[in-house]
Amino acid sequence: MSAGTPKSLASSGQKPIQEICHPLGAEDTASVLTPSPDVGNTITSIGGKDLSLPNGTPVETSSPASSSSLLNRLQLDDDLDGETRDLFVTVEDPKKHVSTMETYITYMVATKTTRVEFDLPEYSVRRRYQDFDWLRTKLEDTQPTHLIPPLPEKFVMKGVVDRFSEEFVETRRKALDKFLKRVADHPVLSFNEHFNAFLSAKDLNKRQGLALLSKMGESVKYVTGGYKLRGRPVEFSAMGDYLDMFTQKLGTIDRIAQRIIKEQSEYQVELREYGPVYTTWALSEAELQGPLEGVASCMANCSSALDELTQDMSEDFLPVLREYVLYIESMKIVLKKRDNIQAEYEAKLEAAAFRKEDRASCTQVPTDVEKCHDRVECCNADLKSDWDRWQNNKRQDFRQLLTGMADHNIQYYEKCLAAWESVIPLLRDKQPQETETEED
Amino acid sequence: MVEEGSTLLRRMEISVAEAEKRTGKNTVNMQEIFTVYLIETRPIDAITEGHNPAPDSLWRRYSEFEILRNYLLVTYPFIVVPPLPEKRAEFVWHKLSADNMDPDFVERRRVGLENFLLRVASHSVLSNDKILYHFLTEEHRWKEVVCETGFQAKADSRIKALSATFRVKNPDKRFTEMKHYSDELQSLTSQLLRVRARVADRLYGVYKVHGNYGRVFSEWSALEKEMGDGLQSAGHHMDAYAASVDDMLEEEEHYADQLKEYLFYAEALRAVCRKHELTQYELETASSDLISKKQQREELATGMVRTFSFKGMTNKLFGQETPEQREAKLSLLEEQIVQGEETVTEKTVECEEYVKGAWVDMQRFKEQKDRDLREALIGYAVMQISMCKKGIQVWTNAKECFHKM
Repeated sequence: MSAGTPKSLASSGQKPIQEICHPLGAEDTASVLTPSPDVGNTITSIGGKDLSLPNGTPVETSSPASSSSLLNRLQLDDDLDGETRDLFVTVEDPKKHVSTMETYITYMVATKTTRVEFDLPEYSVRRRYQDFDWLRTKLEDTQPTHLIPPLPEKFVMKGVVDRFSEEFVETRRKALDKFLKRVADHPVLSFNEHFNAFLSAKDLNKRQGLALLSKMGESVKYVTGGYKLRGRPVEFSAMGDYLDMFTQKLGTIDRIAQRIIKEQSEYQVELREYGPVYTTWALSEAELQGPLEGVASCMANCSSALDELTQDMSEDFLPVLREYVLYIESMKIVLKKRDNIQAEYEAKLEAAAFRKEDRASCTQVPTDVEKCHDRVECCNADLKSDWDRWQNNKRQDFRQLLTGMADHNIQYYEKCLAAWESVIPLLRDKQPQETETEED
Repeated sequence: MVEEGSTLLRRMEISVAEAEKRTGKNTVNMQEIFTVYLIETRPIDAITEGHNPAPDSLWRRYSEFEILRNYLLVTYPFIVVPPLPEKRAEFVWHKLSADNMDPDFVERRRVGLENFLLRVASHSVLSNDKILYHFLTEEHRWKEVVCETGFQAKADSRIKALSATFRVKNPDKRFTEMKHYSDELQSLTSQLLRVRARVADRLYGVYKVHGNYGRVFSEWSALEKEMGDGLQSAGHHMDAYAASVDDMLEEEEHYADQLKEYLFYAEALRAVCRKHELTQYELETASSDLISKKQQREELATGMVRTFSFKGMTNKLFGQETPEQREAKLSLLEEQIVQGEETVTEKTVECEEYVKGAWVDMQRFKEQKDRDLREALIGYAVMQISMCKKGIQVWTNAKECFHKM
């Protein structure tokens, strides 16, 4: 985590385009793993096994540390409502792939599950951001009434942000991990066939072009439907209001956090000048030399502790805060969709009533209006349950985020405390003085 | 800082107990507001004997302290005279008041004045001074008495002398080193004070911005159901955090005051070294004067011109003087030589005594400085530790609240 030039990832090397297959092609990396009933063994084998990319380059699995962090990630997720979990997903181990056409990052998506919908209990596949985007689009299309969690921003300004810096990739990895976990936790979305394919298939068979077209289809229709809504139920209005106010608060918190980082940086600048004055002074002194140098080095320690705090806040706190804004946007879109479905229903109902008057023969409600009504009911129910889930997640997420902030600050003060406490005995300790017997 | 020997402080308890505002007419007959300080004294015997007499007290203003110090400076030039607290607030970080009337400033000045009196009264030489005693015990007539000593004239000439440029040939090397050290001490402490003020400013900013969290958490908690309580309480802790910096920085001013004392002490030390150079210079001047007068006598007596002189030239050109003139000149020279020898003797003694006395006091000062600054650094470290502990406390409290969200 240095403040210098961001580190780039180890590349898989230059290879001509013909030799590079998408990492998901050729051998199924998942088949290398043997199913095992014992949780403990399997996890280490994911980490320690020789996985290789289809082009033969061995995947350098980062150390036992990655398998233990995998375990940590699995254990950190709280059980919602005490449900027993049967699907665990993580996003790990980013790697850079270089070809003559393009350079991109892939992430390892590891799955552990006991669900019958999956053929195997474990999977390990490599996916790139495009693939996540495809998944999200598919989910939106196939589950239009549900809240789909957001992805981290797709586009970054080249030249401003280094897409391959360790910092950026790590932030993105965490966000992608969060995305998959939210989907995996969802009682409906997690059973989606496209999600299943994403986790298990070697080749996603995305047919990008079609995906783009379909993206334009259903979702857009629901969002920009030209119907005017008459009576929105109060609870949904309340949700909309809440989201607006919450967005505001998040914005304020973001600004405050940034301001604090700025103030801390300026404090740092002064501290870096302050300590050395003590060092210079020490050179002019005899008995005080030790104490003055002790104080100077203490300040240097505090200065680097502050540096770490600022870094941690920039890397851990701000990105998560900002990503929540995206989450709110997704929720707002779902609310809008619901409004439009209801509006469509109202319009059709009105039109049917009109025609009914005309014909005066039909006594039953036409089927397409009934279908609309069902859709409205379904949508409302899905939305309510998604809303509750979202609120719960939000509560946990912010509890974690703010607790993390408190932890970072506590650690900073503990480091400073240790530094100053260790200098006290140095200050108190008087060196035996060489007696100066210079008389006139 | 009680010294060995029978200093005033061993016989008498001294304190600057209070400060009050007064109004009066100043030297140009305009109304002004000024602060006076209450000096209380009690004989120690009375206290140890079990009585608890009320202290004698009198009021003095800052300018009277200044007069006292100037008197001490000219009367004891070989002593590193303790400094007064600063006349005007300097090295101020921006939230700290630079106003002389500000109660915090007045309070710190009260402490500084007391410190000055304690240092002077515990000094083996200074504490025996009658004027000092008078200052502490008799409110009226003190100014007249001190002016009668004629110190003012000496003070003026001293200032001139110490700032004059002169080349001294053989100063005591120890004094030259000490002067060099005093320059460094002055420069370093003032640099330290300047940067410390900037650091304090920035630290203030960091803490205060956290207060904004308090506000937004409170607003946010109003939107929430279950999260509300935790957020609200956490917000209060953020407010407390932001508020805590005021007291911490006020406390740190004490450290700044300790540094300032030694900034001003450095000046006093330098003055002692300069006075030595001046004394030595006067001795050297008197000596070389004497030598030249002796040479002139020799030339007149023997008629031989050893060195080139204008007189010699004119003698050659215009003829020598009459024997009577020569006799007259010789007598004059003899007188001057006698005087000159007396002067040289006096100056030599003066110089030696000065060096002896000054060196003793400079050693005493050095030991005091090492002790005091060590204590100051320890105090500063203790303050920092307290600040860290408070920080840990607040954030731990906030963390608990976040847990409950």
